[in-house]
Amino acid sequence: MLQLKNLYGGYGKITILNGVEFEIPKGTITTVIGPNGAGKSTVFKAIFGLLNVHSGQILLEGRDVTGRTPKQMIGEGVTYVPQGRNVVPQLSVYHNLELGGITARDQSAVRARIEKVMDQFPMLREFRDRKAIELSGGQQKQLEVARALLLDPKLILIDEPSIGLSPNLVAEVFRTLQALRDDGVTILMVEQNAKAALAMSDFGIVLELGQTRMHDRADALLADPRVGQLFLGGHMEEA
Amino acid sequence: MSDFLQLIISGLSTGSIYALAAIGFTLLWQASQTINFAQGEFVMVPAFFILIGSRVLGLPFPIAIGFGLAVAVFTLGFVFKRLVIQPMLPHGHLPIVMATIALAILMRELVKEFYSAEAQTFPALFSEQTFDVFGAVISHQDIGNLAVSAVAIIALQLFLGRTRTGRSMQATAQNPGVAEILGVNVQRMVLYTFMINAALATLASVLISPIYLAKFSNGEPIGLVAFLAAIVGGFNQVRGALVGGLLIGVIDNLSAAYLSSEYRIAGPMILLIVIILLRPQGLLGTSEGRTV
Repeated sequence: MLQLKNLYGGYGKITILNGVEFEIPKGTITTVIGPNGAGKSTVFKAIFGLLNVHSGQILLEGRDVTGRTPKQMIGEGVTYVPQGRNVVPQLSVYHNLELGGITARDQSAVRARIEKVMDQFPMLREFRDRKAIELSGGQQKQLEVARALLLDPKLILIDEPSIGLSPNLVAEVFRTLQALRDDGVTILMVEQNAKAALAMSDFGIVLELGQTRMHDRADALLADPRVGQLFLGGHMEEA
Repeated sequence: MSDFLQLIISGLSTGSIYALAAIGFTLLWQASQTINFAQGEFVMVPAFFILIGSRVLGLPFPIAIGFGLAVAVFTLGFVFKRLVIQPMLPHGHLPIVMATIALAILMRELVKEFYSAEAQTFPALFSEQTFDVFGAVISHQDIGNLAVSAVAIIALQLFLGRTRTGRSMQATAQNPGVAEILGVNVQRMVLYTFMINAALATLASVLISPIYLAKFSNGEPIGLVAFLAAIVGGFNQVRGALVGGLLIGVIDNLSAAYLSSEYRIAGPMILLIVIILLRPQGLLGTSEGRTV
C-alpha cells in the first residue's frame, strides 16, 4: 500500500533518514519503534511532504508521491496526526472537525461525514459547541483522530498517540485505531510505548540511525530478545 | 453632566476609529507575528490615495473612496506582505520591526515630497450638524463614525467566526502547523489578513481625516494610539483591541477637557503603565502559550 524505497532526507542540510526502506500492506496497523533520534517522526514528515526528501521514493498504491505537498497528500487519501496537541484551541469541536474536511469541494458531504464521525465518537457530539481548548488531553487526542477521519482516508499517519494520556485512554485510542483497521484503513503509527503498541499492531518496524533495522510481524518482534535489549537502552549490535 | 456625556460620546467616536487601526494591528500579529510600526502611516496614506482619486483623477468622491480602498488593499496588503514581510519573516521579529519603522519613514516622506507637506481638507461622510441629547451636544459625525466602525467590526467578527475562510484564518493564526497539515492554504490566509488590515486602515483613514485633516505627519500619533490600544486590550484579541481603542478614545478626550490638551497623550500612557503593572496580558488578553 505504502512503500518507501531507499529514502534519504532531513531538515535543511542535516540528514536524518539514511536509506529507510519498508512496505506496509493495506488494512493493517504497523508500528514504528526505535530509540530517540532514530528518525521515526522524520519518516512521517517526509511521507507527508513536510520536509525535503533528498533521494529515494515514496510509493502509494504503486504511484510515486515523493515530494508532494501536505495538501496533495490529503488529496491522495493520506492524513497525519502529529505528536502533541494539535487542535485549534479557540474554535469549537465542531469547527475543528470541519477543518479536517477543509480541502473537500463538496462541503455537504463533509457535514454528513462530521455526523458520522460524531456517531463514532459520542463525546464529540456532546461537546460539539465547546472550544477545543476546554477538552481534556485525551478528548483532544480523540478529536484529532476523528478530524483525521473526515475525508475518509486510506492511510493515517499517527505520531505518538499515547503521549500524555492515561493508560485507559491509551487503550481507548488503540481500540479506535483497531476498529478503523477493521474497516480497511491502513495505519502507520510511531510509538514510544513500544510493548503496548506492538501488542495491538499487525506489523512492527525498528528504526535506528535513520535506517530500517528490523521489519517483521508485531508478535515476532515482541518475542525477539534484541528488541527487548534495544529498549533497555542498548544498541542492537551489542545484543 | 451634559458636558461629560458629550465628551464620552465624542471619545467613543474617535475611539472606535482607533479601534479599527488597533484591530488590524492585532490581526497582523496573530497571523504572522508582525508588529507593524507603520500602522499609523497605513491609516494616514489611504486619505491621500483618495485625494489623488478625487482631485488628480477627477473621480466623484464615493468612487474615489473605492479607488483609494483598492490601491490600499493592493499596496498596503498584497505588496506589503510579499515584498516586506514574507522575505523578512524567517529572520525573526527584529528585522520586521526595523523594516516597518523604515517603511513608516518612507511613507511619510513620499507623501510630503510628492503630494504636499500641508494639511489637506478631506470631505466628511457625515454632516457636522448637531442635536441635543439630555443637554449634550452630539454631532451627526460622532454618531456616524461610531456606527460605521461598529458595522465594520461586527462584519469582521461574523466573517472570522461564521465563514469557513474566516475559520481557516483563525486556525492559521492559532496554530499554523496544524492548519498546514489539514491542507489550509496558510500563505493565502495570511495574505487575506494583510488585505483586511489595509481595508480597516482605509476605513479609519476615511473617518479620521475629516477631523484631523490629511497630513503626512498624522501617522505617528495614530500609530502610537493603535499600539497602545492593542496592548491595553490584550495583544492577541480582536475584542481587546476594540475595548482598548474605545477606552483610549474616551480617556484622551476627558484628559484633554479636564486637565489640559497638553496632557492629551499622557492619559493613555498612564493607562498603559497601570495595565502593564496590574494586568500585563491586557484587559481581555490571555497570556500567550503557543503550542509546539
